[in-house]
Amino acid sequence: MRAVFPDQEGMVDRDGVDIHYEVYGTGEPTLLLIPPSPITHSRIWKGLIPFLSRHYRVVTLDGRGNGKSGRPADPGTHTQDVVLGDLLAVLDAARASQAILVAHCHASMWAVALATSHRDRVEAIVAIEPGVPYLGTPQPHWVETAPHWDEIIEDPRGWQLNNRQAITTRHRDWVEFFFEQQLVEPHSTRQFEDAVDWALESTGDVLVAGEEGFDIDLPDRETAEEMYRSLHVPTLTIHGDRDICQHVDRGRAFAEVTQGNLVIIEGAGHLTPAREPVQVNRAIRGFVDRVRGAPMHSQVWARGMNRRKKALYLSSPIGLGHARRDLAIARELRKLEPDLEIDWLAQEPVTTVLEHSGERVHPAGEWLASESSHIASESSGHELHCFQALRRMDEILVANFMVFQEVVEEGQYDLIIGDEAWEVDYYWHENPELKRGSHVWLTDFVGYLPMPEGGEYEAYLTADYNAEMIEHIARFPRIRDRAIYVGNRDDIYPEVFGPDLPKIRDWTEEHFDFSGYITGFTPPTAGQAEEWRAALGWDSDEKVCVVTVGGSGVGRDLLEKVIAAYPLVKKRVPELRMVAVAGPRIEPESLPHHPGLEVHGYLDRLYRQLSACDIAVVQGGLTTTMELTAAQRPFLYFPLVNHFEQNFHVRHRLEQYGAGRHMDYRETDPDQLTEAIVAELSHEVSYRPVENDGAHRAARMISELI
Amino acid sequence: MQAAYPDIEGHVQRDGVCLGYEVFGQGDPTILLLPTWTIIHSRFWKMQVPYLSRRYRVITYDGPGNGRSDRVLDPARYTADSHAVDAAAVLDACGVERAVVVGLSLGAQYGVRLAAIEPERVIGLVLIGPALPLLPPAPERAGIGESFFEPYPENPRGWDKYNLAYWHDEYLDFVEFFFDRVFAEPHSTKPREDAVGWALETEPRILEAEARSPELGLTGQDLFAAVKCPTLVIHGTDDRIQQHEIGVEAARLSDGTMVSMEGSGHMPNVRDPVRVNLEVRDFIERLIA
Repeated sequence: MRAVFPDQEGMVDRDGVDIHYEVYGTGEPTLLLIPPSPITHSRIWKGLIPFLSRHYRVVTLDGRGNGKSGRPADPGTHTQDVVLGDLLAVLDAARASQAILVAHCHASMWAVALATSHRDRVEAIVAIEPGVPYLGTPQPHWVETAPHWDEIIEDPRGWQLNNRQAITTRHRDWVEFFFEQQLVEPHSTRQFEDAVDWALESTGDVLVAGEEGFDIDLPDRETAEEMYRSLHVPTLTIHGDRDICQHVDRGRAFAEVTQGNLVIIEGAGHLTPAREPVQVNRAIRGFVDRVRGAPMHSQVWARGMNRRKKALYLSSPIGLGHARRDLAIARELRKLEPDLEIDWLAQEPVTTVLEHSGERVHPAGEWLASESSHIASESSGHELHCFQALRRMDEILVANFMVFQEVVEEGQYDLIIGDEAWEVDYYWHENPELKRGSHVWLTDFVGYLPMPEGGEYEAYLTADYNAEMIEHIARFPRIRDRAIYVGNRDDIYPEVFGPDLPKIRDWTEEHFDFSGYITGFTPPTAGQAEEWRAALGWDSDEKVCVVTVGGSGVGRDLLEKVIAAYPLVKKRVPELRMVAVAGPRIEPESLPHHPGLEVHGYLDRLYRQLSACDIAVVQGGLTTTMELTAAQRPFLYFPLVNHFEQNFHVRHRLEQYGAGRHMDYRETDPDQLTEAIVAELSHEVSYRPVENDGAHRAARMISELI
Repeated sequence: MQAAYPDIEGHVQRDGVCLGYEVFGQGDPTILLLPTWTIIHSRFWKMQVPYLSRRYRVITYDGPGNGRSDRVLDPARYTADSHAVDAAAVLDACGVERAVVVGLSLGAQYGVRLAAIEPERVIGLVLIGPALPLLPPAPERAGIGESFFEPYPENPRGWDKYNLAYWHDEYLDFVEFFFDRVFAEPHSTKPREDAVGWALETEPRILEAEARSPELGLTGQDLFAAVKCPTLVIHGTDDRIQQHEIGVEAARLSDGTMVSMEGSGHMPNVRDPVRVNLEVRDFIERLIA
């Protein structure tokens, strides 16, 4: 799912070619983001739009030849003259009399040309890895291959693919080769997939037309150099020093000739908007504010010793289990540090839980892109490919990190507590100078694991992600001041992080402290469970089966499967009462009805039902299964298909407690389900007790930092 | 040893009074750090000069009556307007057309008057703990004006010591009292010693001449009516000499930026120099952007 959606979108018709544009935000000034079409389109700005549009008005367009724009394949329709017309038409359509142009690669030349021909429409230029001809040194592979553009090359390899015939007939080969070369940074799998996917939304013919069209009315050296020299708008150049499309000297020369600002990103290649979105965002913000003379804000600065101790707590919104345990930790922390003020940076559904508990939710939470909606959008049936869902959450993580960073830069927090706040941990390791305050990282699993269906490629990807994390921690041990594993050593999955990588357990023991599990509630005594049963109106001779699927919309299939088994179980166990909890996102009325079957929507304090039932049927999420474990209830659990955490980490942990019966959703029919329920109903359970001091232990570890 | 030494030291004669000034650094723009009450001299900017002069040209000078300037006994030389004319003379002597002007406490009056009298010379105005007649004095200082020239009580306490006769009799005790109030922050022994030392470089009869100078005749809106440049006001919330609300009012009247320093006293530039330096730089950078 996208991190933000446009407030307005539209098409302009340019001599029969549609040019698609989008408008985000309402601030000042307007930024026009120009992609180097047609090899890519406006999605290259996905890491920038959420942040920039929070401060300014952002207009994006798909250049002709890709995205939602038309695909003209005649070079004559890709000249600079035509493209400038597109840009002006989009500015008009977006009602922007003037804009700051942000352009990547060869789109920078269009920005220069537009500023030259229409000085009144252009306030400033941000040129990223600028492809501004004649400046600096051209990369040798371009020089070497250009003369052979028209030739027919037998079995072209590498840069030889930069050839009309090769691009036309072996488009994918060229695109994959090209972006493989450009992404010089390790761990760029996600950026590579994006870039290739976007390029392949167009065709080789169109790409060739774009290349040839660009040269048709390209100014000669003398004219171009005069354009650069006489460019009377402020410029910012951002350039990765390992760019092998546009040599960094070209960016340097552009900054020099335009007397502009220059930001070199060392170690970065040609795609800094994708690979270093945090730095690019901040550089653009700083530049725009200087161009515009940002208003000064009155403020309060408190002397260090006059400050109250403050923590910012980030609680992951994926599953409600985090909120419960984080509240428990916060309560314990306040016992140890009564003066500690805690702000929560959170989003729905966590904020509802927090507000119910009287916690202070930071207003910037409203700016966060929704992680839970993203996860819901990634689920279907009883399936959630959670590793891929996390990967595809990349733009949401950048967007939310930028919000977070603004909050910590203003908030003078002593302590940042992130319960699986992936964005904070990841981007602070990637941008270590941005760290503010002590940082506590909490998680209940370590290590991405491949699902068998993902094959070799997924095994490669999970290993790559794990390797990146291991490298992060090794290089910047100062980013995590404390890492807390919510669990015990034996809960760690007994696998390696990947080929040639350490064992997850060895590494985790070395880099984490262990709090034990944190349920966030005290399991009832036998007497209390009886009281709850009575309060719920359940007779003592009834056998109550609770079916629950958590708060996401993912659970319908499992509910239907269990409800389908209901008549069969009822026949075997006449005293059965089945209580199905659909959660807030599934309409109870939309499920099948049977006499004796209760279907509820959202139930407050569901742990009472779970603690008092005779058997439960649930998904494989950690929170619910561990609540049942703590309450010593029999249960069947169905991990979501392709959810590595539920299938490996949670299952392994439950085995440590000897708790629950693992079920395979796809292999289980109503008869088998019936057998399992009947069998478990008569099963006396005696799980390893779940520790109840986890929150206190975690709080002690955290309090040492303040 | 000083952290930075001036590149130029000089004196300017202004209407028979010799004023000592110093110039640090070569950057642009020029920052003019004004004198304040004559009880101290230009060394009170010692935490600002090294930092600011790395980026900008910084001019400091001593007003009449302390530091390297003549010990003047004519009250007319201590009015805010006379100070403003001195400041302009220093700029002239340094060949500086325009400057960002920074004033602490009473220095804020000189800055505001300079910006009004010679608006084209002031790019921006920074007022730190400004002593401006915008609000009635804080309750504990309310009686000062009336009893200043009267005999002081037998066992003077607190602001009783702000008394002309007491200055002449017990100058050191007064000075120590005063700077106790200036530095509201705990652990301020060194700033206090510094300030007392600077106070002892002048003498009660000089402060008397200054006390006898006519007061600024302007207040409220009128003070800022002629000030056209951007302003930044920095004021400690625990300022026991000029209450924080004066700064808030100054920011409001000048449509300026307010930086409140929670827990700071009357000289945050000395006690929290890092923050003040950063705020001043930020203000200058935005001014010249």
